[in-house]
Order: sequence, then structure tokens, then C-alpha cells
Amino acid sequence: MRTRDAARWVVLALLAAPALLAQDYPLPAGSINVSFPGDSPVLFSGLTDQSRGTARGSAMVIDLRVSMVLRNVSANRQIHGVTLRVVSQEVAVGGKGSVTYPSLHVGPGESFPVRIEMQLMRPTQAVNGPLVQVSLDGVLFGDLTFYGDNRLNSKRIMTAEELEARRDREYYKRVLQETGVNGLRSAVLESLVRQSERPRLDARVTRGGPSVASSAAPVQSGAENFAFLKFPDSPVAPVGGSAQVSGNEARDPRVEVRNNSSKDVRYFELSWLVSDANGQQYLAASLPASDPALLLKPSRTAQAAQDTALRFTRNGEPLNVGRMTGFVSQVEFADGQMWIPSRQALENASLMRLIAPSAEEQRLTDLYRRSGMNALVEDLKKY
Amino acid sequence: MALHAGGDLGAWANWRTDRHVARCAECRQEIAAFRAARRELPDAAEIPGVAWNRLAAQMKANIRLGLTLGELEEPAPREAGPSAWARPAAVFAGLATLLAAGFILQHNGPHPIRASQDVEVETTANGIQVRQGAGALGLLHRGASDIDVNYTPGAQGAMSAQNVDDTGHVTVTNVYAN
Repeated sequence: MRTRDAARWVVLALLAAPALLAQDYPLPAGSINVSFPGDSPVLFSGLTDQSRGTARGSAMVIDLRVSMVLRNVSANRQIHGVTLRVVSQEVAVGGKGSVTYPSLHVGPGESFPVRIEMQLMRPTQAVNGPLVQVSLDGVLFGDLTFYGDNRLNSKRIMTAEELEARRDREYYKRVLQETGVNGLRSAVLESLVRQSERPRLDARVTRGGPSVASSAAPVQSGAENFAFLKFPDSPVAPVGGSAQVSGNEARDPRVEVRNNSSKDVRYFELSWLVSDANGQQYLAASLPASDPALLLKPSRTAQAAQDTALRFTRNGEPLNVGRMTGFVSQVEFADGQMWIPSRQALENASLMRLIAPSAEEQRLTDLYRRSGMNALVEDLKKY
Repeated sequence: MALHAGGDLGAWANWRTDRHVARCAECRQEIAAFRAARRELPDAAEIPGVAWNRLAAQMKANIRLGLTLGELEEPAPREAGPSAWARPAAVFAGLATLLAAGFILQHNGPHPIRASQDVEVETTANGIQVRQGAGALGLLHRGASDIDVNYTPGAQGAMSAQNVDDTGHVTVTNVYAN
């Protein structure tokens, strides 16, 4: 009798194990704290905070979802971009993220909805106070003026996105003007095909720690030099560079550039391409200038050097890094003006098929896909 | 006994166990053995690649489960140790739960939680995340098909994901390793 009872308890314990280990329950409102400065040109309203916790073994997974409406309360300026900062002290490093809404055209008094979904993993189950802090990092206006504390460099990032948006919007407007609706349809379809066929890599970026590369075939490790694509109008030109390559890992990339312009440069960024054994190229990463206090005088050189390791996989398999190529993708001058490559320069260098579309190109082609040609033409005529 | 030796019992359970131990030589010996083992074990935490905190928490949970099962079978405190079948059954239940936990964490967890102290940024099934040790912050784009999301790693330790949300706005999420 006792043996039968014991067996029953064991079976019950086994059946209950998944429930014990994956208890799902709602968290009280207030697990996400949203705060904007008092003089902010955007206000939030209609805040909803839905958070749930799930215990998995000794760890806890918390799904956080916040929805709200942002309204432009500035007197007479159109908002073209907003960046929200997301910080959780739960992650040991002070887990930090951002959510940017580029390519906006929000006039005074107008609103737009935002939704942020986050997932937090933490080793303990105790929940005290807000888990995530959401705040305003910056607002970019149509005249390229900026509001915000800019802790995540959102001014520069949104300005570059805005310049790309104007470049690509102008391109589609010109296509419509010169070739009509049929020409526009061809251009949009070409872009959609390019986006879907763009070769993609999965990457993991690690700061610090030992190398743990894997490889699909026996490989040599050592310094691999970059080859460079140079745009004639680029104010900054790469001079030389290398990274330590071993199997599917590239470490410690270093690239030296020279300021060929007549103005001081405050920031530059390169795009980094890698090839596999078959010569197929992929966009691997962006490689930004490493000195936050950079002021690169004309004719002087500076380095983009990062002490990180990048590991690449494709379809779950390690991708051995072959040739590496770099090109300058962004320059910010000391006066705040920026340079980005022209669409023509990217096409001439056969880079359009490799790089991600700009936010505006993605929005316009998505608009065509969802709502058709009339909606796209109306949008292009609006601004 | 292990929880009592480690000071991990709640106040009520601790008081009850104290009362029992005061009258039970066998349990006093068991607690002394656990305490001796604890004094020798701290160095084990230095072994890399083992998630000691998670393992410890799971073991404690299993011991608690075993105790609960024992109490359900024998509600009254016993002067002598548990009967011959109760202890193996509790141990077996604990081990089975541990195996089930391992299976669930391996196959159903959102992502493996590692003990590594490197700060990593990476793409996940439906978003991007920054992770260190057992802590992680992810920004999600649920509902977007993978082909519609453009990921760009930053060599400085960042990851970006760009997609069009269901309102037609472009959303760019970023996570940072520093």
C-alpha cells in the first residue's frame, strides 16, 4: 500500500514539474516606468503597461509590453524622428537599449502610436519596483534641429537616417516624375526583390572574454587585411586596416582613415563586408570611430578600433570569414553637418544588393506592398 | 536538513526543525555533515562554465519538494528517520524533477542562460538582446517575419533591428553592450 502511494506521489511530482517550473503570472502595473522631461516637445498619453512573469527553473523571464500615444506639442515644428531610451538595471551591465522611430512627418498637434515589447531575464524571482525605465533620448525636427539629452547619440543617428530618407524619397519622386506609375512600380518591385534576396548573416558581438571561434573547415588564424571601396566625394578615406580572423570569428578590427576634406571631422563610420569561401559577400557590421572625443583635422589620420569579437553564422552553421572589405558610410563634421554616400555611388559599387535599405525605402516599399500603388503615389506627393 | 544547515529555511520551518533536531541525534549528525561540506565547497564556485547559482537554486527547490512529499506522507514529526521507502521516493522525485527541469530549460527556454560574464549582443528568434551572465534585456519585434527585419551589428558592441510595424511606421531597435 505504502509503495503504491509513493509511486503515486512520484508520478504526481513528474506531472507537476512543468507547472512548477514555468509558472506564468501577471505583474502589477508599474513594472515599466515612463518619464519625459517637463519641457519635452512630445507628450505621451494612453499608457498601458502589460507585464507577465514566467518562472523557468531558478530564473525568471519577464515579458514587458508598453503602448502609448506620442503627441507633438511643439508650437510649429514637424517631428521627423523620436528616440526612446530603455534601461534596465536588472542586467549586470545596466542593460541598455533604444527604440527609434525615423521617417516620421508628425506636425504640431498630431499624434502617433508606439508600442515597445521587451523581455527581461533575471536570475531571481523577486520583483520590487520598476524593472525598466523608458525615457526620451531625443527628437529630430524637419529642419534638422534637435531636442534631448542625446545620451545614445540619437542626434547623429537620426540625422543620418533623415538624410538617407531624403535621398531615397527624392529618388522615388524622380522616378515617378520621369517614368510615371509604371516606372515607379518597376523601381519598387526591384527594391522588394533586392531586400528579399539580400544575403544575410547572423552575428554575435562580444566585448571582452576569450576567443571561442568555431569553423566549418580547418582554417588558419591571423591578421587579415581589409580591402576598401572608395567614393570620390567621401570626405574621409580609408588608408589601411586589419582584423584578427579565425574560423567564423573576427576580432579587434582596426581601420585607419584620412580626412581629405577641408573641415574638422567629429565622427566617421565604416561598413564592413565579409566574404565566405564561395566569394559571396555579406554586410557583417558597422565599424564606428572609437574615440568619443575625436576631432580629426584636415589631412590628419585617425583610427576606428574596437576591442570586440564578432562571430558569424548562416543558417545555424559557422561561416568562415574570407576576404574583408570596408567603405565609409557616414561622416559627421565638427559643425554638425553630415555626409552619407549618394545612391548613385552605392549602385556603382554594387553595394545596394548588400546593404540594408534605408528606413524610408523600407517604409515606402512596405506601403506599396500593403496598400498598393495609389497609396504610394499619394504619400510621395505629400511631402 | 540541507536547507536548515545552509540557513535557507523560513522562520517557521526553521523553528520546527530546531525543535525536532533537539530531540533527534541522527538529524543532528546529518546537519553537522552538511555544514562540514559547505565549509569545503566554496572553491567549487571558481570552476568556470558551471552555473552554480542556478544549480544551487534547483537543488534547493528539489529538496523542498522532497520535504513536502515526506510531510504529506507523514504529517507528524518523527523521532526516528523516515521509513525505508519515503526517503528514496523523495530523492527519486527530486531527481526526476531535476531532469524534467533540465529538459524544459534546454528545449523550451527562450534562450540558454549562461554563466559567462562577457557582455554579448545578438539576434534572437523575435528580437535582439544584450546579455551578461544570467541577466538579459531583449527588445522584440513580434509578428514581423524574419525577412522583413534588417539586422546590423555594430563592431563596438551593439545590435540594431529595423522593420515596419503594423501601423506602417519604421521602428529601429538597438541594444548596447556598454
